[in-house]
Amino acid sequence: MAAEAGEQKVVVHVRSTGDAPILKQSKFKISGRDKFLKVIEFLRRQLHQDTLFVYINSAFSPNPDELVIDLFNNFGIDGKLVVNYALSAAWG
Amino acid sequence: MGGSPVWDGTLSLDGFNASAAALVKRWKEIEVDDSLPDWTWKPCSKTGAPSEEEGYLALEGVCRSCGGSQIEEMENLDVAETVGDDAWVESSSGNVHVYDYHVVYSFSYKVPMLYFRGYYTSGQLLTLDEVKEGLPSDSLKVLTESKWTFITQEEHPHLSKPWFTLHPCATSDWMKLLLEEIKAADKEQSLQYLPAWLSVVGQAVGLKIPLGLHCNS
Repeated sequence: MAAEAGEQKVVVHVRSTGDAPILKQSKFKISGRDKFLKVIEFLRRQLHQDTLFVYINSAFSPNPDELVIDLFNNFGIDGKLVVNYALSAAWG
Repeated sequence: MGGSPVWDGTLSLDGFNASAAALVKRWKEIEVDDSLPDWTWKPCSKTGAPSEEEGYLALEGVCRSCGGSQIEEMENLDVAETVGDDAWVESSSGNVHVYDYHVVYSFSYKVPMLYFRGYYTSGQLLTLDEVKEGLPSDSLKVLTESKWTFITQEEHPHLSKPWFTLHPCATSDWMKLLLEEIKAADKEQSLQYLPAWLSVVGQAVGLKIPLGLHCNS
């Protein structure tokens, strides 16, 4: 059951908050089987930032080990997983 | 004037207590990995007069293999149902670190603060170097770059012993980012405070918070 659902592609909508730059392309597809770490690394590469604060639905910051499909199934809105990012780091 | 002031990311003591009670309850309702115990509320009386209001949250006896990840499954599943927590701690002594996490309200910063300590199953406490072995790689990087604003050792406010702690100086900033869009009443916001806060501090110290904590029941 989980394996089949994992094949699904998930639309991730990234949204900048605070003074983080806006990406030209704000929506992209990712395999549901990928870990959330892939989303974080994508944002880091695009923004050339090592430290980003990445969070979902203005409620929590997912563990990089979580599967994208699990996040989508629980927190997806209108067929998308909305991911917010800010430049500030939590520490340091 | 008239409009509600911009929220600064802090939490009142009442908010902390309410959120802590909600967390203890919610944690019992959701599906939690077997390696994670329950959160408990520890009442205490720092000022002499015992009060129901004063206390802290505790998650004690979290076992992790030295590799850093929480132990996920027992190897011989057939006995898993009959063996209690303490039994399998003993069976895998040696390379297992046990962690206690306490969440204490900081009156100076008006945010929750994480205190933690690690020890071997023999009871011997872990040094910072040994704790580092269990930290996620991102945290190790932060630790090298900003030594004094991340993990330090401080006196536990209720136990008067040195515990490791995560520096709270930026907590209200990122909490503001996390929760400022919630347009619900203040009460709702404070109930969501601790789960949101835990999702960030948990990552810093390698404590995996179950996804179910953030799902609507």
